[in-house]
Amino acid sequence: MNSGAGIYFDGVTSARRDVIVALTPSGLQISDSDGHMREWPYNEIEGLAAPDSVLRLGRRGSTVLERLEIRDPALAAQIDALAVHVDRAGALQRRQRIRVVGWSVAATASLLLVAWFGVPAIAARLTPLLPAGIEGKLGEAVDMQIRGMLLAPKDGTTPDCGTSPPETAGRAALDKIVRRLEAAAGLPHPLRIDVVRRDAANAIALPGGHVYVFSGLIAKADNADEVAGVIAHEIGHVANRDGTKALLQGAGLSILFGMLLGDFVGGGAVVYGARTLLQSSYSRETETTADAYGAGLMNKAGGNTHAMATMLDKIGGATEPGMKILLDHPETKARVAAIRKLAGNQAPSAFLDASEWVDLKQICAGRP
Amino acid sequence: MRSSDADGHVTGGGVRFLGQRPPYWRLLIRGAALLMVTLGIYRFWLATDVRRFLWSNTEIAGEALEYTGTALELLIGFLVAIAILIPVYTAIFLAALDLGILGKLSGVIGFVALGVLGQYAIYRARRYRLTRTIYRGLRFHQEGSAWAYAFRAVLWWIVTALSFGLAYPFQLASLERYKMRNTFYGDLAGAFDGSGIRLFVRGLPMWMLVFAPLALAVSGFIGIDWKAFAEAVAQGGDDAMGKIEGSNPGLGAVIVFAMLMGGVSVTLAAILYPAFQAMVLRWWSSGLCFGTIEVRSRLSTRRVYGAYARFVGYALLFSIALGIVGSVVLLAVAAVGGTARFGAPGEIAATFAALVGYVVSALGFSTIYRATVLLSLWQLGMESLQLSGLSALDKVKATGRPSSAVGEGLADALNVGSY
Repeated sequence: MNSGAGIYFDGVTSARRDVIVALTPSGLQISDSDGHMREWPYNEIEGLAAPDSVLRLGRRGSTVLERLEIRDPALAAQIDALAVHVDRAGALQRRQRIRVVGWSVAATASLLLVAWFGVPAIAARLTPLLPAGIEGKLGEAVDMQIRGMLLAPKDGTTPDCGTSPPETAGRAALDKIVRRLEAAAGLPHPLRIDVVRRDAANAIALPGGHVYVFSGLIAKADNADEVAGVIAHEIGHVANRDGTKALLQGAGLSILFGMLLGDFVGGGAVVYGARTLLQSSYSRETETTADAYGAGLMNKAGGNTHAMATMLDKIGGATEPGMKILLDHPETKARVAAIRKLAGNQAPSAFLDASEWVDLKQICAGRP
Repeated sequence: MRSSDADGHVTGGGVRFLGQRPPYWRLLIRGAALLMVTLGIYRFWLATDVRRFLWSNTEIAGEALEYTGTALELLIGFLVAIAILIPVYTAIFLAALDLGILGKLSGVIGFVALGVLGQYAIYRARRYRLTRTIYRGLRFHQEGSAWAYAFRAVLWWIVTALSFGLAYPFQLASLERYKMRNTFYGDLAGAFDGSGIRLFVRGLPMWMLVFAPLALAVSGFIGIDWKAFAEAVAQGGDDAMGKIEGSNPGLGAVIVFAMLMGGVSVTLAAILYPAFQAMVLRWWSSGLCFGTIEVRSRLSTRRVYGAYARFVGYALLFSIALGIVGSVVLLAVAAVGGTARFGAPGEIAATFAALVGYVVSALGFSTIYRATVLLSLWQLGMESLQLSGLSALDKVKATGRPSSAVGEGLADALNVGSY
């Protein structure tokens, strides 16, 4: 059999020994100048990390770090061929790498499926189980944050409209709309609906059921039924407890993405992007449901359901094209058509008379 | 196989780096691509590959180092770290919700707690790396308490911050002494004899160059009448800016001067950074010793600048390529999206494209940095070493056992890892 020179470290001291390595049918025979002889069976040898020019061998599963180094390319190639766990071409590593990549992709797919279907399903089932007390506390916390950040006016005055004399008439008009819708909706808890000074044409429903209508929306409305339509839509969110659901969904996504995916360069952006996309997909569905609820409520309250569609068209159409990316709402045209389809054919009675409508328009007129 | 190394080995006091750039680039680029595909899980395999490459291509006195850590160990370490960190994060989150004094202090407490934990992780990660480093059939290992190190490190960081960085050399020396006196190669004890004062004296000119413009900027504000300024701000109103200007006619000029000086300071810091890095690396290497084995470094500052120059060159090329590909994609999106610009699928596709673009560029620049600056620092740092007293290597005995990778996992989860 073949033999050649090697360098041997016994793993007990750092002394370096020049040895002769002989290839026998069963294994390597390592003999040093003192006449010591060691047998390494081929199936107990493993290849270890080394420079390209060196074949470094060790004993598999041994706690003693015995090392044998072969620098003769021909001898190294022969050992590589004889020992199963010596893998200079890296085939074992490649196989492990493929397994890692394959399972990571599978894990990602399952993560996305859970995020897409599982998280909203869990949130929808958990929300009704949440006691009203806890939901109320949650709502208060969110309310405080929203008032602190979103609604804070620059000069430190209150954001609420309709609280002081020139505006109280407007508040009375608003209350008239709300009472009629509330009677039709028949919800277990009283509604809390306020108008705040914000230029955007929008309205939001918080967890716990507090609804804020922005003054920009009233400015944009041409009659009371349009305002009532938007409020009906928001009451839909309250009835479905969408605010709480969204909160739970957000928490679920945070746990899924934030914890399971660790940090790598650019990873934060991936997590953020995935969350935003998923949350906007959840809310598309929520908005459609709230639309249907709102249209039904307008029918029941005897209002003009088509006014709700007109208002939505106005708000949706005003959105700048560049701002459409990640917009929560499904395509405005489809929503408008769906609402019009749901409109009943009874003769609508207006929510407010002409003078009350003027009052409502002035609900935020007390301050510039 | 490279025949030039096949015939023998160097027996002098030298350190050689045998690694070639092309395989390292291949390893990093493949790693970056797989990082993207696996959403980051591949980082344990990439880190292991990188270390294996660097270790096994570093030859000290004719024998290459060996890295025996595995990616699986790092993955498990990370999972353990997550299990430890979730309660910590929850506690910090709950403290923030507290209405009393605890809530107000929660930010500071959380910052300090995570700071201590980060330093703890750094020390334990070092232990993992050392115990996975084999040389001539013997393991390195590290003793000492990671908590003791963490408190020491955090205290030093506070002192360094309060002294505007002037205490940094003494911090480095003190922490390095702690690390090295707890470091062993077999039964050969390590030590660090670098002097903080020496580094301080060498670094002082650089410190002054960076801080002098800032001091000038601050001195500009001394002449300002702060009382009048405060009154003008408090009055507010539509012409607040006019009143502020009236209270201190020179204020505008002072602010412009301060911004200019800030810019000068940042520019100087960027220009001096490679020289600073080379100086610290040279000082640090020269302070290392194991038993009677001593290390001297003759690292050339010019070559460190060369590494950064290569980084800037590659980064420019990569930016140009990104720009070209990006504009082609943008044009294609505009052409397709022009007909159906409000479609929801279009929005999702656009967001996705933007996200991919961001991740590709972030990973690209980090890959270039690793392949140029980090590799060169390793190679130059190693090749500049001159070892003496190597005869001690013939009779070192084995001690120490492998440690767990929890420190690595914590460092990864807390983002304080390296290599």
